[in-house]
This record gives sequence, structure tokens and C-alpha cells, in this order.
Amino acid sequence: MTSKTTIPVHLDINGQHHELRLEPRVTLLDALRDRLGLTGTKKGCDHGQCGACTVHLDGERVLACLTLAAQAEGRTVTTIEGLAREGELHPVQAAFLEQDAFQCGYCTPGQIMSAVACIREGHAGSDEEIREYMAGNLCRCGAYPHIVAAVRQAALEAAQ
Amino acid sequence: MTVHARHGSTRHGDASDGASMEAVGGRLSRVDGPAKITGAARYAVEQQLEGLAYAALVESTIASGKVRAIDTTRAEAAPGVLKVLTPDTIISLRTASDWFGTPPPDKPYCPLARDITFSGQHVAAVIAETFEQAVAAAALVEVGYDETPAIVDLSDGKAGDGIPIDAMTKEWGDAAAAFAAAPVRICAAYNTPREYQAPMEPHGLIARWEGDHLTVWEPSQWLDGMARTYAEWFEVPFENVRLISPYIGGGFGSKALALSHGAVAASAAKMLGRPVRLVMTRPQTFTGYGGRAATRQTVTIGAGHDGVIQSIVHRGVNETSIDGMWVEPLGSVTSIMYATPNFSSKQNVVRVNSVVPGAMRAPGENPSAFGIESAIDELAYEVGIDPLEIRLRNYAEQDPHAKKAWSTRQLREAFATGAERFGWARRSPEPRSMRDGNHLIGWGVAAGTYPVRRAYGEAVVRILADGSVEVESSSIDMGQGTYTILAQTAAETVGVSAEDVVVKLGDSRFPRAGVTGGSRLAGVMTGAVHKAATSALDQLVGLAISDPRSPFNTLQANTLTVANGRITAPRGDGPDVSIAELLRRVGRDQIEATGDTMPANSSAEDRYRNYTTIAMSLPHTEGDYSRHSWCAHFVEVRVDEDFGTVRVSRVVSALDSGRLYNPKLAESQWKGGIIMGIGQALLEEGILDRRHGRIVNNNLADYLVPTNADIPDIETISVGIPDLHSSVLGGKGVGELAIVGIAPAIANAVFHATGKRVRDLPITLEKLI
Repeated sequence: MTSKTTIPVHLDINGQHHELRLEPRVTLLDALRDRLGLTGTKKGCDHGQCGACTVHLDGERVLACLTLAAQAEGRTVTTIEGLAREGELHPVQAAFLEQDAFQCGYCTPGQIMSAVACIREGHAGSDEEIREYMAGNLCRCGAYPHIVAAVRQAALEAAQ
Repeated sequence: MTVHARHGSTRHGDASDGASMEAVGGRLSRVDGPAKITGAARYAVEQQLEGLAYAALVESTIASGKVRAIDTTRAEAAPGVLKVLTPDTIISLRTASDWFGTPPPDKPYCPLARDITFSGQHVAAVIAETFEQAVAAAALVEVGYDETPAIVDLSDGKAGDGIPIDAMTKEWGDAAAAFAAAPVRICAAYNTPREYQAPMEPHGLIARWEGDHLTVWEPSQWLDGMARTYAEWFEVPFENVRLISPYIGGGFGSKALALSHGAVAASAAKMLGRPVRLVMTRPQTFTGYGGRAATRQTVTIGAGHDGVIQSIVHRGVNETSIDGMWVEPLGSVTSIMYATPNFSSKQNVVRVNSVVPGAMRAPGENPSAFGIESAIDELAYEVGIDPLEIRLRNYAEQDPHAKKAWSTRQLREAFATGAERFGWARRSPEPRSMRDGNHLIGWGVAAGTYPVRRAYGEAVVRILADGSVEVESSSIDMGQGTYTILAQTAAETVGVSAEDVVVKLGDSRFPRAGVTGGSRLAGVMTGAVHKAATSALDQLVGLAISDPRSPFNTLQANTLTVANGRITAPRGDGPDVSIAELLRRVGRDQIEATGDTMPANSSAEDRYRNYTTIAMSLPHTEGDYSRHSWCAHFVEVRVDEDFGTVRVSRVVSALDSGRLYNPKLAESQWKGGIIMGIGQALLEEGILDRRHGRIVNNNLADYLVPTNADIPDIETISVGIPDLHSSVLGGKGVGELAIVGIAPAIANAVFHATGKRVRDLPITLEKLI
């Protein structure tokens, strides 16, 4: 890779600052996984169809495969690795474990990042609403009923 | 290799039956869970290796013909490109044996094709310094073809009737004569389209050579089988190939075999002297390996006016590829679900220009059940008998085909329990007789079954100096819960807490394991771990009794009790020491035992065959019994009368998987099967561009799999009892079972709602309006 085709990109990920030189076409997803070793964010389709790559950009859920790394410059990125604080699981993570809301685990980071945002957005008011606002994250193992239960549980805990 | 220590928080708030949660049968949360929910779980292609190069595949754009020429000039000149591989420049490999272990023809194997037999076949590959450079350069490879007409699918005029598969023929009595004489006769054709496993993790691998040793990080349902294939391709000893598959992001049958893209990546790594990563794009996963074959079945039933079946005649066809063979056994459920004095089932396969189809959740049983479980519903309406009642009237008290007793068959209990919980008795029998506003409501029932596939397994159990226990096996966990149930098995057998068990899986250097498929792994591996752990415990107790340095040595006891990591005399009248303390006192740093369920006189070659092929699997009808899991599904659908849209609004399934090693995880697998079945019934279909023989909806936006918003509450109820004819600990199969029967239950519910019988999956709105 020559410097002529790369640009400097500064990324703030999970509270840590990273300086990278990347081709402009590098997606945030590939920057995370291939350049920074943050492989918790998954690649399922690379086309914004499955939700496995969901991360938070300034607190809002986005698809890292449809976001160029350069677009994240100057913004705050949170990935699944940044959700637990000081070894304590985030309540959504704990609820996923308790409700067995995953099997193979590959869609799980994206589901959890979506679920955290879904609750924060105020879209976890009923099972029906949770199903709708979690519908962008595919799970081929079919953990959906347990994902709904986990989001419901975490939303109730957050409301208390 | 991956290691899971128990995580303290996994017990938090878990409903369980109390003290036994960590034992076999307890609702222990999955021990690999903390790694998966924090992003720490590193899947195969996520290994970060020095000097990694990236490969991208180029695929055929025609379905039939020859590659005339490949122009790689522009691709080779593109930035970062290290190599462009074509059939002419890739190294030559040897043909490998198939999964039965059949000796291969002595001829070269080229994973890049010159002769094109399907659209999407790998014809070239680009390897570059970065992923982006490889993808960009792959688009610059120019391939010229000489195209010939393709056979697009089963309905193609050129397809013909296909090849009879005599091994699929099952006949008894005189089915044709009994049908002709029967007072009630029904006959219908049932079709299922190409369906795709679509695991969330795409197929891919990292291959690295060190001298003549190959390491492959690849999601795998069968490390030892895939290692054998790589070894044969590259003509290196089996021991030189190491497969590492710590986590598998879903397989559903599709990740059991080494495939041509793996050969491309490993060849590239060898040629470049660098590790190479190759991951299929999502569209490539629709042609890089086979999904479920499209099928056609005709089911003919002759019965009395009382609904009692007198004859079943069944004919099936599935598609296979031009040069590969896939048989989807379509008579598998047809031949055992109902008692019938006369029966005939035959099957052909038809060659079409497709990738060779493959295993997808309950291959055979799934489409087979769609036929027979729809047909018996049609018979129920024909004779005016409740669909549940007609199934009981034709209940098979023994295996009608093998003429053997069932090992266990809790299907009657499944029907009764499911019906009760669903409220089946409140069903109004007439089609279109239940509605809620604009929604027609339909209630349907169907049964499912899956054979108990058995094999031999091997595991090592070690009791370590600190009193913890370690389990090693080259079996895998793709979400079924292997890490968890093996920890439970070792914990219960040795007498320690599951928290003190570390399970290591997913490395072919560990004791060998056969394929994880056909719902066999749990039964095989709990058996092997139980045997190894029992042997380790015997050694521990033997040391405690006989070693002069042991505090128990003077007791003259015949046995000792090990529980919660402590050793005591049976009557509690002697010393009470921890396992760690005992090992320290007798001067041992560990106890190791190998558990191997192979027959004692097995040769090394037998063992190799057992773990690297499926040739030594035990028939489910071996000996005196016929062994199967069973289930009954009760489904409610709501059909919008104006638009014909179908929503599944309620599912109650009662399932007999024998004893459950961990009900919490088993319920998750059952629900997953039911949900995949909902997709099959209502959404999933590979759509062909008939001009080019190409799958056009080869992505997750156009090949529709269920989303969260498509799935209602699902209730699963276990009605199984321990079946010791099926496995050491009494379990039968879990993962494949629950999808079987869902599609017909939905089709039957749709008929009840609308009066329209849809016999072609998926049940889409244009078939209802």
C-alpha cells in the first residue's frame, strides 16, 4: 500500500484513540476487524442486509459495513468490546446470557449493540415493538424469542 | 483451540431444578456465552497473523460450457496484487476420497474450473496485500467462455426423468393393488425449492504452510474429516494437517466438508509462502457449496372411510449436479410415520447445472415430512376426520419398514400434550370457519421425526493438580452447546462443580471426533466423556485407597465418594479432603484418562476410518430396535383475506428427544429449528434466472430468512424419556428434529384458514389470492 493512495484516519473507539493510514475505500468494519484486531464486530453480508456489524456511532446504531472508516473521523465509535465496564457485563449482555438469546454467537454482538440502542431509543415498550425494532438483525440460529425476552428484561431493568 | 472456564455470572437468575443445575440435565447457561457476548470469542478467520495475504474469488458467469481464455493482465497490474491464479497457474492437487472414504480416482484435482457446470463456479482467484485490493483486482479478471445450453432446474425440458436410486426403494405388501381397491384414494404432488443454509458467518479460512505442515483455521463441523481431505489433496500425512475451529458461526449442514475454495486458499498459501485468508462473499455462499436440493414428490394414499391407511405409494425426485451426486432421501419419513400394510417408495435424481446440493438441517426427513404430513391432512378432510385423530388412528406401534420395536416413541404423548397446551379441542373443523376481523385463522398439526445417528467417539479427561478437570476433544460447538454439556457430563461423573471444568474443543490435535451432523454429537461425545471421566475417577479413587501416602489408605474401604471436589468415605466416618489435597499428598500432578467408545479390538485403520469418514456410523435400526426422535407441532396462522399474507401467530411443539442433557440449550435448538421451518414454509426459495441458470436472489435481502418481526412466541415442551438404546446417557437427537414437520403444519393451517391447499413451498401470497 503506497502513501499516495492512503489517507490518515483518526478513530476514537471504545474510549481509545487510534491513528491509521487507510485507503479511503476501507470500511469501518474492515478497519475494526483487519487493522485493529477488534473482531467482535462481525461481517455477515458486507451489504447492510444482516446487521451483524452493528456498532454505535455517537451513540446511534449504524452498520459498520456501510460506513467508511473515514466517515467515523471525529466521532465516537462503540463496539461490543467497549460495552462491558470494568469487567461488569452490560445489563443487555447479562440478559442475553441468562435468556440464552444466542447459539452460534455470530450475530450476537450486532444484536446486543442494536438492543442497547433499541432500549435507549425508547423502542422496547412491548414485545411487538421489540420485534419490529430488532428486525434489522438477522439470526439464523433462530434465537428471536429469547432475544425479545432478553431485551424486555434489560429494558425493565433500565426503567427501574 | 478454545478454552472455556466457567464464568461466575452464568448462574445469575437462572431458573433450574435446584441443586442439579450443573449436572447433566440441568439448565446451566452456556459456558462459552461470556466470550460470545463480549466479542472476545475469536472465530476461525479472525486470527490475526503476521504477513497475512487476502484472496478473492472470480466465478463463472455462465452455467454450462468451457473457459476459453482468462486474461489476467489488468488484474496482475493492479495495486497490491501478489498473484492471480487460474486453472493454468494453480498448483496441481490430487483428488481426495469422499466422505464415505471411497478411494478416489488416481487423477489430479483442480479447484479452479475449466469445464463449467454451474453459474458461480470458481474459475480464478486473486491474492493481494489487502482485502480491498484483492476484491478490486478480482473484478479486473476477464474470462472468455464457450457457452453451451444449461439444464436450469427440474422443470427444464432437457432435465428428463433422471437416474433411479435403487438404494432408496422401500416396498412391502402390494401397494398398487391395495390402492386400486381402496374406497378412499388421494394423490397429490408436493414441491420444495432450493433452500440455503445461510449461516450468519460466511464460509472462509486462513491457510498457513510451515514446510509440509498445513494449519487451517476454518469454521468446521468436522475437523478430522476436513483434515483428511486437505491431506489427500496436498499429498501430505494426515498428521501434518491441523484444523482449528474454535467457534462456528452457524453451519446447518454446510460446514462439514472441505470445499474447493479451501483448496484454492491452501494452494495460494503454499505458492506464496504466506498465510492466506479467503472468505466468500455472501453471494458466493449461494453457489460455493450446495443448499438443500429442490424436490418433487407424489404421495398417493389409499384408505378406508374410517381413515385407516391401506396403501401408500410414494415417488420422489431431487436435483443433483452435472458431475456430483446428492440424494435427498425423500421416503425417510413416509416409510415410518404411519402403519400401512402396503407401501412403495422410489426415488430418482436429476442432473441439472447447479452446484452439487448438500446437507441442510434434516436432509431427507424435512422434505419427506412435507409430503406425507400434508397428504395425511388431505386424507383427514377427505374422510371428515379431525387431523389429529387420523394420525392416532394410523399410529405406528412399531417401525413399519424395519419391522422392529421403537426404542422409545413418545409421539402419542407429544400429540396429547401439544394438543392440550394449544387448545386443539376448541378448533372448528371447517376451513374458513375461524376468523378475527379481516384475518382468517387456521390451526394445523403435523408430526416430525429424525433418526438417532450413532457413532463412536473419543475424549481425554484430566484431573489437574488444583482439583479442576479438563476435557479435550476435536469435536466442535456451533451453538448446540457442546462446551456446556461436556462440562456438565465431566462435572457430574467426576464429582466436581461444572465451574471447575474446562472444555477444550475445535482443534484437530485433540482426541478425534466424527462429523457434527445428523444430531449425533451430543450422544456420541457425552458417551465418550462419561467413559473417560469414569476412568479418571476410578484412577483417583484407586490412588486414594491404595497409595500409602493417602489419608484413606488405612480405611480399607472398597470405594470412596467424590462430590463437590472433595473425597470422603461412603459413610462419612473418615477423612474429608479435596481432590487437590489428595493429589498433592500422593505426589501426582494430574490424572489422565482417554475414553474411547470404539469396540476394543478396533485397529488403527478402523479408528482413522471412524473419525475421518462416515462409513462406520451405526444404523439406527441396528439390533432389536428402531431409534428415532419424534415431535408434534401445533401451529396457528393468520391470513389476511385481502392480501393473502400469512403470519404464523402461535406455535406449540411437543418433542421427544429422549433425555435432555441441558433443557435450556435444547429448547433453544428446537425453537431455532421451528423458526427455520417457518422460513421454509413462508419465505425461502432460490429464484433462478432461467436464461443464465443463475440464482438471482443470492443475498440476505432477496433470499428471505425469518427476521425477529416474523416470529411469534413459541412454546416447546419436552415429552421425552431416557432412551438407553440410543445413547449412553439416554438422549436422542435435538438439533435436526424440530424443523421436521413445521412446513406441513403451516401448510395445513393455511388450508384450514383459507380452504386452499398449497403444495409448493414457500406459501407466498400469490398462491393464495
